[in-house]
Amino acid sequence: MVDTPAITNSEARVHERMRIRKERVRGSLIDLVVTLGTIVIALVVGFIVTLAVGKQPIAAYTALLTGPLSQVNRLGNWLQDATTLILIGLSVSIAFQARQFNLGAEGSLLVGAMTAAVVALYVPLPPILGIIVPLLAAMAAGFLVALIPGWMKAYLNANEIVSTLMINAIIANLYQYLLINFLTPEGDNVRRSALLPATSAFPLLADIFNANLGRANLAIVVVLIVVIAVWILMRHTSFGYEIRMIGANEKFAQYGGINTKRVVMLAFAIGGAVAAIGGVHLAMGVHNRLILGISAGLGFEGIVVAMLARNNPLLVPITGLFYSYLRIGGDIMERTASVGAEIVQVIQAVIILLITAQFVIEYVRTRRNRRAAEAKL
Amino acid sequence: MRDIIKIYPNGVRANREVHFGIRSGEIHALVGENGAGKSTLMKILYGVERPSSGSIFLRGKSVHINSEHEAIALGIGMVFQNFMLVPSFTIAQNVVLGSEPMRGMLLDQRAAVKITNNLARQYGLVVDPTAIVDSVPVGMRQRVEILKALYRGADILILDEPTAVLTPQETRELFAAIRQLVNAGKTIIFISHKLREVMEISDRVSVMRDGQMVGTLHTSDATESRLAKMMVGREVFLQLDKPTKERGVAMLQVRHLEYVNEAGREVVRGVSFNTYSGEILGIAGVEGNGQTELVEVLTGLRKPVAGTVSLGDHSITGLSASAVRLSGVAHIPEDRLTNGVALNASIDENLIVDRYNKPPFSRAGFVSHGAVVKHGEKMIDQYAIRAPDGTLPVGSLSGGNMQKVVVARELSANPKLLIAAQPTRGVDIGATEFMHQQLLKQRNEGVAVLLVSADLAEVMSLSDRLAVMHNGRIVAIITDVRNVSEEEVGLFMLGVKQQTQAEIEANW
Amino acid sequence: MDSALKVIFSAVFVSTILRVSTPLILPALGGLIAELSGASNIALEGMMLTSACAGVLVSVYTHSEWLGLLAGISLAEVMALILGYFHLKLKADIILVGLALNILASGATIFVVYLLTGDKGSSTKLVSLEMPTITIPIIKDIPFLGEVLSGQNLITYLAFIATGLVWLFLYRTRLGIHIRAVGENPDAARSVGINVSAMRYLALMLSALLAALGGIHLSMGYVKFFQRDMTSGRGFIALAAVYLGAKHPVGTLIAALVFGAADALSIQLGNLNIPSQLVQMIPPVVTVVSLILYAIARKRRAAMLQRRFQKTSV
Repeated sequence: MVDTPAITNSEARVHERMRIRKERVRGSLIDLVVTLGTIVIALVVGFIVTLAVGKQPIAAYTALLTGPLSQVNRLGNWLQDATTLILIGLSVSIAFQARQFNLGAEGSLLVGAMTAAVVALYVPLPPILGIIVPLLAAMAAGFLVALIPGWMKAYLNANEIVSTLMINAIIANLYQYLLINFLTPEGDNVRRSALLPATSAFPLLADIFNANLGRANLAIVVVLIVVIAVWILMRHTSFGYEIRMIGANEKFAQYGGINTKRVVMLAFAIGGAVAAIGGVHLAMGVHNRLILGISAGLGFEGIVVAMLARNNPLLVPITGLFYSYLRIGGDIMERTASVGAEIVQVIQAVIILLITAQFVIEYVRTRRNRRAAEAKL
Repeated sequence: MRDIIKIYPNGVRANREVHFGIRSGEIHALVGENGAGKSTLMKILYGVERPSSGSIFLRGKSVHINSEHEAIALGIGMVFQNFMLVPSFTIAQNVVLGSEPMRGMLLDQRAAVKITNNLARQYGLVVDPTAIVDSVPVGMRQRVEILKALYRGADILILDEPTAVLTPQETRELFAAIRQLVNAGKTIIFISHKLREVMEISDRVSVMRDGQMVGTLHTSDATESRLAKMMVGREVFLQLDKPTKERGVAMLQVRHLEYVNEAGREVVRGVSFNTYSGEILGIAGVEGNGQTELVEVLTGLRKPVAGTVSLGDHSITGLSASAVRLSGVAHIPEDRLTNGVALNASIDENLIVDRYNKPPFSRAGFVSHGAVVKHGEKMIDQYAIRAPDGTLPVGSLSGGNMQKVVVARELSANPKLLIAAQPTRGVDIGATEFMHQQLLKQRNEGVAVLLVSADLAEVMSLSDRLAVMHNGRIVAIITDVRNVSEEEVGLFMLGVKQQTQAEIEANW
Repeated sequence: MDSALKVIFSAVFVSTILRVSTPLILPALGGLIAELSGASNIALEGMMLTSACAGVLVSVYTHSEWLGLLAGISLAEVMALILGYFHLKLKADIILVGLALNILASGATIFVVYLLTGDKGSSTKLVSLEMPTITIPIIKDIPFLGEVLSGQNLITYLAFIATGLVWLFLYRTRLGIHIRAVGENPDAARSVGINVSAMRYLALMLSALLAALGGIHLSMGYVKFFQRDMTSGRGFIALAAVYLGAKHPVGTLIAALVFGAADALSIQLGNLNIPSQLVQMIPPVVTVVSLILYAIARKRRAAMLQRRFQKTSV
């Protein structure tokens, strides 16, 4: 140990580094192949289930796999759904990196939608500000609401899965209550808010490209900005370093002087702000008003998006697009082949199961490789 | 045991064609450095690990031991270094765990108490069967472990470094118990690296080195230096080159420090002392007497209930861990591999956990990767960390190299005060030497060093002054460390002897 | 307000508490056993949902409520085995596996019901059989008490009996004490020859059994049909009850009853002129508030001990 000289031979070290770099590239390729393999296996499982029950399994599965591309308006639906999912996935991935299971994205999303709509309806705003002010208000609201389970976890050590799900339930009821009792205009038979002013609506892609792209809208641009912002936050700021160290070993982070409680709480809250943008997109882009049942179960959908992306913010758009493709495909399958769209949830569960098992296998594998590499030195 | 070969899946050859034989009714010591393969060999005998090849004969018959269960059935019992007890269960419940006396479908708790009492009386191992394990001292827990093995009908008892956590007095009690066990016909395998104890207690001694059996001899034919030579293959003396040094200013001043834990127990009681620049102040004590909490209070990981801590002219009482670090305190933690590093994070990232938010590593909240990588390279060179570059995860390094990552980070912070807790626990002789040299180097450069260790030999050979903790208090501060015996320190550690308040205050 | 008070102090209300607590007590006890073995069962929710669905469907097609019960329990056990296999064998994170199983259960139940009935929301088209209710002689004629204690569903009685049995099991039987040992110090348990994995499998399977009974009660006692996501978070509230009950059977029972009372209150108040959304917020609000109060009380206790010490020492 001590009496063995350090590697002073710089040439050997450069060589070693090259080798490790190559190994790393190979490692990421393997990751990619494994992820794709996981998806294929999950789709096959889904297919087997469809085969077992379906009247026209091939047609059903074709609808699932090619449906979203079959019509331009379906393409629009896909983009629009992906926009929400990417935001939720980002939200979940932030907490995941700190090893927290924040399932509160759905609640934050509802709060975001509500706040944005109320601000847009009651505060007269010029164009551009009409988008920006409700957006910022919604983010602030999402941040504050997610602060509660964050505080409960960090300072009171309360199980975050229980608290976030309960808070989601509270918010869902509150949303309904406010919508029905205060926001539905008098005389409207449908329980929904008034239409938002045009200054507070994201321009539709359909109008820009002059194609039937459904309700897909320019919130996509916001998503791109958020993706990059989250990536910078996680990889290039000291706050991101703090989150990652807490995720790697919380006791180590504490010992090193990181205020772990504050960081964990903020990880929840920032996730809440990001999820709230999803609500803004739904209220100001997709529906242009508040409706009942504006979202359902999105907190869980975020898990699969974040996990497939290995919590890497730059990969979340890809996995978000992929997963919402399946969701839209599922809807089309249900309409055309009367096989329940819930098959997508089955596929989702299989993907999560396979990935959780893989994480471990990969960890063991890389550890063994590195050990072997070191032994050679 | 014949031709035992054990190759772990990661390619480490822990045992290479080891022969090992014991006679019934003897006390057989098994000695060797950390990593020499003693534990692996014993784990094979106890069925925890399976040999890659080789065979085991018991009373002339070849046996295959595939699990602890089978070892127990063959009359082999083992007392591990870290006790295998369930803290919230009573002593009696722990003794009978796994083969409980039953009354019909239900446990017979009274019978369990009776069994424990009978065994305890028979072998002179005093315990309180109805006490909760969590609330009894270490010495008693060890006796519970021995009773557990005896209850299962162990004839051969493997004791893995049983004296590591005991005071000299508790060790004497243990030895008396061991002799009583042998008189009752039991066979003892005594794993240790404390040669003096081996000489005192054993009938024969086997020495292992690098996974091989170097030899077995009668203890009466052995001397400490001969055994030491067999263990390391060269003469080793724990003789440290320690120049005398005038101590400087009182860098750390602790006064009337009190800490009460969440369960409401006073664990640090009115502790006062100074640590001067350029000295090593050792804190000796049996583990669990408040040292861990004292260190965590001093480093800002816990908040004191009362008392003051100052560093130089500044009070650091109750500051956060990062503020304490900022004021010039470095900390080599007790449990380095669980608290001192993040295994999945890279070496570079591990090296900046105490300074990631300060220039040059980050500016205005943004981390500079260039500075982080450069720092990593410098540390890898300076502390001879065996890694091609800093992007490797720390978890892929060997234990000794992980240790170096911790030391590199803490020492490169240029501290005014260095707190090292149990710095050589669980590391081999080479790494121990490295650590001792680093501590002395810091002292010689004028850093105040606070060394907390349960290893009496270590604190006594390194320290300029020695404070002894018992039951949360400082019971003695010894200035003339060279001329005090281990026995006397042991009496302080047990709380049998105590200096007067005036004596202690005089030596703050 | 008068009418509200009347509602709260009526025998019907107390009886409702017992009824709505049943699908909380049973999974909570299941969660407790799993928690004590060191393997948190996040999949309680999915297990309840699966058994609720299977119970209804099988009872409809076989005309036997008992086969329905059996089917519900069997499927929950299969889920326990999957959870155990992924966590204990493949060493996957048990929380993620549990969440995946919940998602699977939610999707698969709707999928199957849709397939069989063409209706996505619920199985009201199929009238389920139900578990028998039990009238206790003599007690049934006592005013108030009779109304409360007699005429409940079999599974409600089972829930209370189960609390006692779980206590007896965990503290007075060999397997129970082994499960607790495994949860507290797996190495110690292993060193005396206890099979850690086997104990955790067992704990998860017992946990699934209790969760399944809770699920069956929902769809074959509480109501007589299956509805999508009808467990609506009960599996998670049950987990909260485990923590609030200080991981002890009796504490868990009390916590589950408190949540049940909140639920019953929301049902009773639903009959009055209060917006249903506000009423439905009561159970989750009670859960969150009690989690917070419990944690604060624990912190206070520690702080008080420290303060008391400060006073005497200065």
